[in-house]
Amino acid sequence: MTPPLRILLVTNLYPPMVLGGYELACANVARGLARRGHEPRVLTAWSHLPATDAEPLEVHRDLDLHWLVPHVSGASPVLERDLHAAVCSSIGNTLHLLRTVAEFRPDVVYVWNLLGLGTAGLLDMLNLVGVPWVAHLMDRWPVETVKNTPPHVLGPFNAQGSALYRGARIIAMSDHLLDEIRTVSGVSFGGDVELLPGAVDLTDSVPHEPYLRDGTARFVTAGAVSAHKGIDLILEASRVLADRGVRFSVDVFGDGDLPRYVDRSRSLGIGDRVRFLGPLPQRDLLRRYAGYDAFLFPTWHREPFGLAPVEAAGCGTPPIITRICGAAERLVDGVHCIKIDRSVSGLARAMAAVADGSVDVARMARACRRLTASDLSFDRCLDRVESVLAAHATPWRQASAQDPALPRLALLKHNLALRLRFG
Amino acid sequence: MDGFSSALWRELPGFDIAHVHQCLTGFGASTTAIVRSLGIRSVGTDLGGGEDPLMLAQRGVGLLDATLSISRYADDLVARAVDGGRREVLIGPVDTDRFTPDDTVPRDPRLVLCVSRILPHKGIDRVIEALPEGLRLIVAGRVYHDDYHARLRRLAEGKAVCFIHDADDERLLNLYRSAGVFVQASTTRDLYGTFVNKPELMGLTTLEAMACGLPVVVSDAGSLPELVTDARFGRVFSTTADLTAILAEVAAGAWPAPGASALAREHVVRAHGMEPIGRRLAALYREIAGRSEA
Repeated sequence: MTPPLRILLVTNLYPPMVLGGYELACANVARGLARRGHEPRVLTAWSHLPATDAEPLEVHRDLDLHWLVPHVSGASPVLERDLHAAVCSSIGNTLHLLRTVAEFRPDVVYVWNLLGLGTAGLLDMLNLVGVPWVAHLMDRWPVETVKNTPPHVLGPFNAQGSALYRGARIIAMSDHLLDEIRTVSGVSFGGDVELLPGAVDLTDSVPHEPYLRDGTARFVTAGAVSAHKGIDLILEASRVLADRGVRFSVDVFGDGDLPRYVDRSRSLGIGDRVRFLGPLPQRDLLRRYAGYDAFLFPTWHREPFGLAPVEAAGCGTPPIITRICGAAERLVDGVHCIKIDRSVSGLARAMAAVADGSVDVARMARACRRLTASDLSFDRCLDRVESVLAAHATPWRQASAQDPALPRLALLKHNLALRLRFG
Repeated sequence: MDGFSSALWRELPGFDIAHVHQCLTGFGASTTAIVRSLGIRSVGTDLGGGEDPLMLAQRGVGLLDATLSISRYADDLVARAVDGGRREVLIGPVDTDRFTPDDTVPRDPRLVLCVSRILPHKGIDRVIEALPEGLRLIVAGRVYHDDYHARLRRLAEGKAVCFIHDADDERLLNLYRSAGVFVQASTTRDLYGTFVNKPELMGLTTLEAMACGLPVVVSDAGSLPELVTDARFGRVFSTTADLTAILAEVAAGAWPAPGASALAREHVVRAHGMEPIGRRLAALYREIAGRSEA
């Protein structure tokens, strides 16, 4: 049993501010840690949305957000300034983090997505204070700092290479994500990385209905309705199946570029096969998965993991996934999923195999349920998170957070970075 | 700059103290940030290279454990930004083994020496203007301002003024040893009417001259008055009229006082030489590093 820990979670977004699985996972883990007797506190950016659920933990929405949600001007100098604040330094956020650490005195700081908050300044401050910190990577936000900031500007923060992360413990969703971060930015984390795939909480799922009812294959996808998630591929593949006379339907849940894709499906003559049903709360989505035969996930190569197909798998709806996405590290081709090359023909072939019964979807669904009830279960995930946090939460000199020189040092670095970048 | 930062982050860990020279420049600000981040004790010194607002107005200089100024005047400039931190003033050092009198070199009491870069704020025009009949002036220094140099040449017409722009170390030493009086006439407002900030943080040539036994006349700009503690071997002037009066005393043989040469030398060796300055610097380093006297 892990002794109770005071855990400061830092994240750019937190429900109800949600763009995708990262924020939801952060909230699920934070709430799970609270249920297990720990004392988590969330430090995050403002929200303009009303809270939907009563939080079982303290959520402080005091940070400013410089990217993702607020309007970003297309004018070059403004854009560059916004980007700098987002990925390099935002002095208000840095000082607020310092005050929070000094006041809350966490045993460990648990860093989630920092994009938009002034990443380099925040991590440098954690290093200056000497508080143990763990980063949970479900996206490549470390890349954004290095890619969008000239090296000399990162100098004051010791953020030119991997040094910012030297004292941190890293949890990453997949090797795929680590490889991408290393390849694109040169940032690496050494060998001591905890690989923790996306975990699914299937409390709200229901028993699956029979497969291929009435001889019709029912496909589903959920998430951002955009090109990088493969919506275009789904429409093109659907056109191929329709041309062959396959009996099938596709339901698309999620928000995004809906008008374009509705028009596109009509122009392809598949408006009666493909429905765009908008976003659904997570709870409802898990129930809806019980009615489908396969989950379509022809996502792009940058997908760090992909929680939605794993959740669908846990609900008995095996996914058809791109061979190179993060989730592909955990799901075995032909056992838990059908892996495809990211192409119209590859996706159409897999969909056809489901529709004509040449893939035993029911058997695959049973394997999916076993996997998500064991390795990919939320409880198992939380066990490992707890273990990592407890191991890394070594005593630190809390008086260092009270050092009156630190705000001055933070301001000096912030202003140096501004000067080095903008003159 | 990225290479510079990387090198500091990589090379500095393990040092007990970092002495940040030119601490009021952008370089100094960057170095101070990194040194402080690494938890290394630090001393900063302004050598006249800048007045970076990050270090002064925004008090970045307060991140240093101590400031070491090369004059009380320089110390006053950083004091407001230090917030009560440790401050030390060490004027010098000058190499008193190299800069020495030489009894074998005859001294010309009517020779006035001015060693300075040819720049408007050095106030050389004031020396030429004040030079009385009966005295000669040698201006030794490289030209950094052509128009000012031309003006000086015109001003010197009809007077016993000689310009030397290529003096090497040996020749310079010989000039210190053979002149009768040294003048440093720096000004806060040059003959173009330009206000000059921080005209002299120390005045090393004045110390070198005194180390060679040469009595000095200095202006009241910046730190220069701090260098002369005894009117027998050092005089301070404010205006050209003041300087004219002092040089008239020199021409009349009324100043310097007898024994001034030895007094000047003795003062510099005692207060500004390598040994006393080095001893006090080492003591400051030990104090900042939290170590007792070895």
